[in-house]
Amino acid sequence: MIETEQIEAHLMQRSEPGDQLVFEARLLLEPELHEKMQWQQEAYRMVKLYGRDQLKQEIEAVHQKMFAQNEHLSFSQKIRRLFTNR
Amino acid sequence: MPGFKFSNRTAEEREKLFINLYKNAFPTVARYVSKMGGTFDEAKDIFQDTLVIYYEKSVECSVELKTNEKTYLLGIAKHLWLKQYRDSSKLIPLNDLDIESEETTQASDKKVLSFLQTAGKKCMDLLRSFYYDGVQLSDAAELFGFSGVRSATVQKYKCLEKVRETVKQKAMTYEDFVD
Repeated sequence: MIETEQIEAHLMQRSEPGDQLVFEARLLLEPELHEKMQWQQEAYRMVKLYGRDQLKQEIEAVHQKMFAQNEHLSFSQKIRRLFTNR
Repeated sequence: MPGFKFSNRTAEEREKLFINLYKNAFPTVARYVSKMGGTFDEAKDIFQDTLVIYYEKSVECSVELKTNEKTYLLGIAKHLWLKQYRDSSKLIPLNDLDIESEETTQASDKKVLSFLQTAGKKCMDLLRSFYYDGVQLSDAAELFGFSGVRSATVQKYKCLEKVRETVKQKAMTYEDFVD
């Protein structure tokens, strides 16, 4: 776990300058560490894609709420009129 | 509304935020898209992408917005409209264009994502909270029922290692297919 934490600190540029140097030296000497770092970067990218995907679903649910429920009828009518009276 | 700051820790809080943004800003964006000759569905797509950008930017910069968000959102929406609908690009469905091109979801990404969603939703939700929603460790500990910041941190890294391993395994499997 410490290593994962160190990789994160390095990738997010949060390491102390001294630790940064040591880590960079290790990256050169340890190909496995370098490889781990690359996969970790890929993991962050996946988390971002997952987050974005979930967020889009939440926004779509709000859209449905605004346009499919009577609660917001005057709002939805106001918007729809923009596209029908042309 | 200068200095408008929202809480985005839970799904309920985000729902409230998006309902408010819909009420405040969607009419303005829809009027713009309508004026430009777009349809209701195009206005919807533009606005939803606008909300995602607004959300990600706010988390990334963790700043309170100084401008009134209606103006800010309209600015993003106009930019998206011009970028995506200029010239003859109308033939391209909006959903096929991602917000940042370098982060376009590839077919292989989709496979990995759907695997991660079914095999490790709990971990993905925890990681999303930390990294995508920018939720503080102490808040996340409370939200996910950990005894404290330390155990939340340990779990976060365990999950990250799990995802890292999955991503690696999956990439190798797909490579085999390509070869």
